[in-house]
Amino acid sequence: MNWRNTPTREFDFPLVFAAAGLVVYGLLLIYSGSLTNYGEPGTNLSHPVTRQATFALFGLLAMLVLSRFDYRILGPLSVTIYVLSLALLVLVLFTGSSEYGSRRWIELLGTQVQPSEIAKVCTVIMLAKYFSDQEEKMRSARVFLTSFAIAALPAALVLIEPDLGSALVFIAFWFAMVIVAGARFWHVAAFAIVGGVGAAVAWLEFAHGYQKERIAVWWDPEKYESGAGFNVVQAEISTGAGRVFGKGFTKGTQTQLDYLRTQTTDYIFSVGAEELGFVGAMVLFGLFMLLLFRGISIAARADDAFGRLIAVGVMSFILFQAFVNIGVNIRLMPVTGVPLPFVSLGGSSLVTLLASLGIVLSILGHRRRRPRRA
Amino acid sequence: MGLAIGTKRRRWRTEPADEPDPKEQIKYKLLILRVAVIIAFAALTVQLARLQIIRGAELERRAELNQLRVEPVIPPRGLIYDRNGVQLVENVPGFSAGIVAADVPKERTLEIAAAIEDLLGVPAMETVLRIEASRKSNDPFTPIVIKDGLDQATAFRLREELPAMPGVQVIVEPVRRYPYGELLAAVLGYTGRVDEEDYRELRDDGYLATDRLGKAGVEAAYERYLRGELGARQVEKDASGREIRTLEELAASPGNDLFLSIDLDLQHKATELTQAVANGGQAAAIVMDVNTGEILALVSLPQYDNNIFSGKIDERRLEQYLKDPKKPLVNHALAEQYPPGSIFKQITGLAALQEGVANPSTTITSRGAIQVPNQYDPSVVYIFRDWRALGSLNFYGGVAMSSDVYFYYLGGGYHYYGNNFNGLGIERLAAYTRMFGLGAETGIDIAGEAPGNVPDPQWKMDTWGEQWTLGDTYNMSIGQGFLAATPIQMVRATAAVANGGKLLQPRVVRQVVDADCHVIVGNEPRIQSQIPIDQRNFDIMHEAMRQAVSWGTAKDGGIRGVEVAGKTGTAEFGERFADGSYKTHAWFAGFAPADNPQIAITVFLEHGVGAINAAPLASKILDYYFHRPAPAQQTAVQP
Repeated sequence: MNWRNTPTREFDFPLVFAAAGLVVYGLLLIYSGSLTNYGEPGTNLSHPVTRQATFALFGLLAMLVLSRFDYRILGPLSVTIYVLSLALLVLVLFTGSSEYGSRRWIELLGTQVQPSEIAKVCTVIMLAKYFSDQEEKMRSARVFLTSFAIAALPAALVLIEPDLGSALVFIAFWFAMVIVAGARFWHVAAFAIVGGVGAAVAWLEFAHGYQKERIAVWWDPEKYESGAGFNVVQAEISTGAGRVFGKGFTKGTQTQLDYLRTQTTDYIFSVGAEELGFVGAMVLFGLFMLLLFRGISIAARADDAFGRLIAVGVMSFILFQAFVNIGVNIRLMPVTGVPLPFVSLGGSSLVTLLASLGIVLSILGHRRRRPRRA
Repeated sequence: MGLAIGTKRRRWRTEPADEPDPKEQIKYKLLILRVAVIIAFAALTVQLARLQIIRGAELERRAELNQLRVEPVIPPRGLIYDRNGVQLVENVPGFSAGIVAADVPKERTLEIAAAIEDLLGVPAMETVLRIEASRKSNDPFTPIVIKDGLDQATAFRLREELPAMPGVQVIVEPVRRYPYGELLAAVLGYTGRVDEEDYRELRDDGYLATDRLGKAGVEAAYERYLRGELGARQVEKDASGREIRTLEELAASPGNDLFLSIDLDLQHKATELTQAVANGGQAAAIVMDVNTGEILALVSLPQYDNNIFSGKIDERRLEQYLKDPKKPLVNHALAEQYPPGSIFKQITGLAALQEGVANPSTTITSRGAIQVPNQYDPSVVYIFRDWRALGSLNFYGGVAMSSDVYFYYLGGGYHYYGNNFNGLGIERLAAYTRMFGLGAETGIDIAGEAPGNVPDPQWKMDTWGEQWTLGDTYNMSIGQGFLAATPIQMVRATAAVANGGKLLQPRVVRQVVDADCHVIVGNEPRIQSQIPIDQRNFDIMHEAMRQAVSWGTAKDGGIRGVEVAGKTGTAEFGERFADGSYKTHAWFAGFAPADNPQIAITVFLEHGVGAINAAPLASKILDYYFHRPAPAQQTAVQP
């Protein structure tokens, strides 16, 4: 390899700007969404806004630190962190605290940690490492299936919690990564067909009643309005009521009077839609698209497959989560509990996402200058 | 997704030698990712625009419907006072448990119903069914009453549990309390909850499903004055139905107050005196102002306590009342009709005077009975008895001694055994009877009046399919037979005798006064008609009735210091006993002072004889009226 050993030290300010913009956007919506139940943040350290801001600072710090390190050191560590993240996923099944009937959190270092969020980025790194190691054999079915297993293992553990939404995230970024890594088209096509049929069978055979109900609710939420459809209907009302310019920050009646539930997490998008309107939502979409395009552009410029695939993995799971979360809010798809990246209240998700961006930034910053052609 | 992008032909089956530039391939694959970003956000934008721009107005309105509710403000029901300003009703807070079905989370319905069962003892299944029914109705925001009449302690305990029971609420509403209870139940009546059938008609008049309205007595008759008008509040509510703030309020206009013509003190005394002689039977006593039609006292025995209908109906006591053969819930002063007996002779007598059938010197001899041979078979002879062989009597004597024979002559005439006396005949008798207001409701402002019955040949043919006979006319002449009248009809007729023929609408409410003390309905007497009888004939009847009290059958109706004019009645009713006698009702009708009538009185006792039982009772009531101590010395009527 004829690399010069000096990194370019490039830094992508638009990407950081987009991420910071999303975090601030999120903090504003969390503030508005928690007014009713928490009041002003003031000096209250357990106030959601304070907590999220603290995590944002930690996340930004992690991002900056990680961007200074050469992402290549993650290569040899990838198996270790992957196994550790799997261990956390197993641990949460036994000791996790439950909410709404599923075990998702564990106590770690004095704070609530959601292992599935950590596992996402660890799995991305593991897959990137595996694909880059197998670059020459990418067309083999064995590599294709092994890579699927790497993603499916944490996905299965998350599914047991149960957290279908997060489980699908693993499959989504694996799918994007395997395509970019260069799998055969017919492998991908065959997998898509088998996976689709398998999912349909699994759905009919194994899905819980509440999961099936979600489809029915999605189709006709009014019918279930006083029960399972309540949140769906209220989110739709909140979003629509915002119209073009919104009701004004902290002026949304749906949000402030608690008609909108989980308004700082799953339904945070509806808070923005109600209070900031279509215009506010377009600002959010703009920030997401800026971030994703910058991230994909880093993937395009990456020195090696490892870096490129990490960037692809991170960007694809941000895209998938954003799409699913907003899609659920505006009834484009059935209810699936996935947080809106950077925006939803939740420390594990925020810190992991910002740290992941740090790694992506490191991919850009640690490109090595090619020697000038003689 | 188009995976084929970047491939010029089906390359995946060929050897790696044909691989294109890997950098090119990567560029294409990342392009897929970029396109995916654009497609994803385009799809989200389209759907968002559908909601916010196309359906924006509709969904905004739904957000408003969500949070803004119009809550009724219940007006305070008008109060009721006696003629001297003593307050007779109170509005006290009543507590009930209600549920707004729309606010009950569906999946928690059973849990909440179970909690209600624990707390209030209402079966959970019943609650669940009612919530379901309300959810399906077109008005799930209207509270349904799950349990009425909570005591204060239970209401407070329920209120503490409310945060755990979304949709449940403690409804506080004014309910009536009647401090005098039984004493005035027959006059005041009571209020009760709107029942479901009534609600369909009443909802357009501003009634709520949880509302109360007057169901009997003055409460019912003056409902539209007492009720007032609902106000409304637009309130902002959060998702669990808690009120956040009131945005607008349209104040309720309170109901109008009533001032009764009833004199609480006299009512109390009359009730006490009547109870003392009624022996647990049905009885009525009414004192009426002969110039205005105002009722000063109205007693109906046996009584009931109208407080049992306030708040939650006291089922046990209601059951007792309903089973009681004496029918305490019926107003015996105006809802039950009886043969009036000899007090009816006032009317027969006046008709005969006016029609020239009799004059003061018309003398008829009572030998204890008269005989009437059968029209077709003279060997059959009917006997019509007097209560005693009273000898020769002029008009005054006939009234004073209450001679039945005298009035047989006046009513039906007598043309047998050499006599040739032309009577009124049924047509004229019935016409005069109706002029005195019998056979029709008096229009008293208490709900539930009975019309009584004035028989005539047509009526008998229609009802019994039989010919009218002379005997029927005789019976009617003395207030017997098919004639039926209510005590209120008889006191009014007596007042008309006293006041020179003015048939007044009897009233228990003197004035309806609004919140600003403006009189809405005044106390001008309402004269329904002037009976076409000359004043000199009334004067003759006054004198005859005065004599009845001074030396006749109504002797015991007299009082010291004031001259009373009166007439007793002993009306036979029911099955005939073996000795030819019947059970008898006792009546007294009269007025005083005889020369300048102020009040008329009628008393009715289910069992008794007019002269022995009714006259003394009337006397005591009249005596109290004219001689009671000045208000300062009266013993206050204890609520």
